[in-house]
Amino acid sequence: MSLLLVFIFILQAPLEEDRRCLLCHGKKDFGIVEDGKFKSLYVSYEELKNSVHKKFLCQQCHNDVRVIPHLIKPKKIHCLQCHFEGNVVGAPTEKKPEKYKESIHEKGKREGKKVPECMDCHGIHNVRAPEDSLSSVYKKNVPSTCGKCHVNQREEYEISIHWQGINKGIMGSAVCNDCHREHDVLPPEDPRSSLNPRNVIKTCEKCHANVELMKKTGVPVKQVEAYKESFHGIALEFGVLKAANCTSCHEYHKILPQRDPRSPIHPDNLPKTCGKCHPNASQNVAKGRIHVLPQEKESGIIFYVYNFFKIFTFLVITGLIIHILLDLYGRLRRRKHGE
Amino acid sequence: MENKELEEKLIEEIEREEKIEIDEKLKEKIKREIKEKYKKEFERLKKEKEKKEKEKKIKEEEYFIRFSLNVRLQHLFLAIGVLILIFTGLPIKFHEAGWAKMFLKIMGGIQVSRVLHRIGASILIFVSFWHMFYILFTKEGRREFWELLPRIKDFKDFFQNIRYFLGLTKEKPKFGRFSYIEKFDYWAVYWGMVIMVSTGSILWFHNFFLGILPKFVIDIAKEAHSDEAMLATLAIVIWHWYNAHFNPEVFPFNPTIFTGKISKERMLKEHPLEYEKIIKEKEIKK
Repeated sequence: MSLLLVFIFILQAPLEEDRRCLLCHGKKDFGIVEDGKFKSLYVSYEELKNSVHKKFLCQQCHNDVRVIPHLIKPKKIHCLQCHFEGNVVGAPTEKKPEKYKESIHEKGKREGKKVPECMDCHGIHNVRAPEDSLSSVYKKNVPSTCGKCHVNQREEYEISIHWQGINKGIMGSAVCNDCHREHDVLPPEDPRSSLNPRNVIKTCEKCHANVELMKKTGVPVKQVEAYKESFHGIALEFGVLKAANCTSCHEYHKILPQRDPRSPIHPDNLPKTCGKCHPNASQNVAKGRIHVLPQEKESGIIFYVYNFFKIFTFLVITGLIIHILLDLYGRLRRRKHGE
Repeated sequence: MENKELEEKLIEEIEREEKIEIDEKLKEKIKREIKEKYKKEFERLKKEKEKKEKEKKIKEEEYFIRFSLNVRLQHLFLAIGVLILIFTGLPIKFHEAGWAKMFLKIMGGIQVSRVLHRIGASILIFVSFWHMFYILFTKEGRREFWELLPRIKDFKDFFQNIRYFLGLTKEKPKFGRFSYIEKFDYWAVYWGMVIMVSTGSILWFHNFFLGILPKFVIDIAKEAHSDEAMLATLAIVIWHWYNAHFNPEVFPFNPTIFTGKISKERMLKEHPLEYEKIIKEKEIKK
């Protein structure tokens, strides 16, 4: 009987421990004055108990607080103390939080700039899983999370077809991190960046070569494949970085479909879009498809040109080979007969 | 044997005429001297005979001039241009293949290869103008062009040749200055030139043509350029190289297009009608 009581006591222990913290931090007006400003130190216990960290004690993160009440100011906690690959507490690492160290955000931090850290995107006590619709990193909430700082980009993005897709409930549609990645965010100038001209095709291809997803959205799926066969694609493949890539024509944040008159690839806007590199581009550039795969029937006349040459080449070369073989056969036959 | 008898005879004669007796020692000496003289004389005669035979052989192996220097140079420029174009063009067509990537790397990247491709294209365009002037403004060019025009005889020759290969007839078709095989090679280049130069120019000066031509025409140009390139390459590698290199008749290669000369033997075998014509013309001149 007494053993059972001990057991219950142990189970109750975390709550008991936390309750001691909440004696102060549970009061809504609890805070200190720092640099002449009031700083709230209130912690919503509700939020904490609804977060992914619900099973942890306050002191498990704030591990420099040894005695309660504490007299010293606790240090900033470091998420990576648990969130590293191979941790034993079960912190997820598949999104590679350590990669944050390589990001432009971390670089800014070292330079003393105001940059987001883990908690700025993931929340503090209310950290929720990305699948949780109340999470700040839930797909639909990512633009507003990033948009807290990147205001203009968010405004542009919210015009885009990608955002329209999300609003229609197509969750495969892209938000910030689908293109920029999440922890190792890098500027496009960096060759490691997912949006560097060398990598941007792969980044768009992740979704735009996905047959199922494109079927759902009604976007043609072979655009990337056709691009890779174009002169632009081949030039880029062999390191000519000034060659047009996806973003050169489609823009970055406010990507819009061809039918939208605001889109740079709307037929009326194409002369201007192509004109960025090809000074003579006229309305002619809108006459014909852009991403052409000659093997596809939708390519129209190019499909027929391709097939004409295919058949023509086959016939000519077969004929020539037959002629050569007959010639050789004749020589062999005549030698045998001693003619 | 004969020499010895002759020597004995000579010595005897001397003895009789001079009425003296020559002792054995002197006899031996005289014999040796005579022997050496004969030897030298025989060798001289032998050499003279060989020399005459050689000269005779050269005279028999008569050569004809098949291609003028002008034609030979046109072919040389064409060949250099086409080879450059193939080496710099095919890696672009097959850009996904490992060998293409390696080849472009060796050449110094796509920026170098595209310049080389345009140099090759310039050579090709230069040759096409050269050839146009040649067949329009020179007597020789007009005559050659006339000879290259396809005729009904070519079709007859073709069918007869096939039957000859199969052993249905023992008579090989008699070709004139150009066989249907050579004519095919020539006109294939014509067709190829027209397609490659016209589509290639659109691609080269795409910034200019984008202002004039609809996008789909430029796409057609790209497709046709790439496909005709493949056809031309295959035709050269299979057809032209067989006829000019790997054919057992000429293996390892037929030097006529570079030297301009063709032997009477090959002339009779490959162009009997032209040979007859040349001989007739010679007789009339006489």
